[in-house]
Amino acid sequence: MLELAIGIILGCCALGAGTAMIAGIGPGIGEGNAVAKACEAIGRQPESRSAVTTTMLMGCAVAETTGLYALVIAILLIFVAPGYLVNILMNTLGR
Amino acid sequence: MILKNVDATVKRETLYIAAAVGVMSLLLQSVFLIAQRWDYTVLLGNLLSAAAVIVNFFFMGLTVQRSLDKDEKDAVTAVKFSQQIRLLMMFVVVALGAALPCFNLYAVIIPLFFPRIAVALRPKFGGQTGE
Repeated sequence: MLELAIGIILGCCALGAGTAMIAGIGPGIGEGNAVAKACEAIGRQPESRSAVTTTMLMGCAVAETTGLYALVIAILLIFVAPGYLVNILMNTLGR
Repeated sequence: MILKNVDATVKRETLYIAAAVGVMSLLLQSVFLIAQRWDYTVLLGNLLSAAAVIVNFFFMGLTVQRSLDKDEKDAVTAVKFSQQIRLLMMFVVVALGAALPCFNLYAVIIPLFFPRIAVALRPKFGGQTGE
């Protein structure tokens, strides 16, 4: 029974980590769209290239943070949460 | 060799991010020292993570710079691909930081958000935002 409980904890943590990483797709799509629009803008006004690049870099850095949040949640679910949850389970069962 | 072809804007912004990450890393170390939780693992974790975020930003800059010379469809594909590869790189770095006992996990995770803070503070340090 205990093994089953630990297995469920580990499985749920792994599922949660995998689900969290879905958020890693979003920044790629967002950055791609932003760069496409930047290409269009530079095509219209080539002299604004430096300003557009700066804005793009800052925008991409902001967009990328979302993916990093997901990454951190996934890492915590894989490496930290199982230990804590199994400890809680053991304490509850008095082992 | 690689640096020769790098746009001046990318170099400038990467330097700004590197400087900001350096300052915030010093602050992080100070916080650990004040809290009396400092040991070598904090320093190693911070160095690993700070290096990873600076390299990540630099690669992102390179991708953006190269994408701007392509047509729209190719640019979108290149940026998406680059983002996935960089996310994978960050995953490997953070997983190493979490799995190896010589790195403090919190000192690995916290610096991942330093570039976001640096970007938010950019206008206060005279950064151009497109004008």
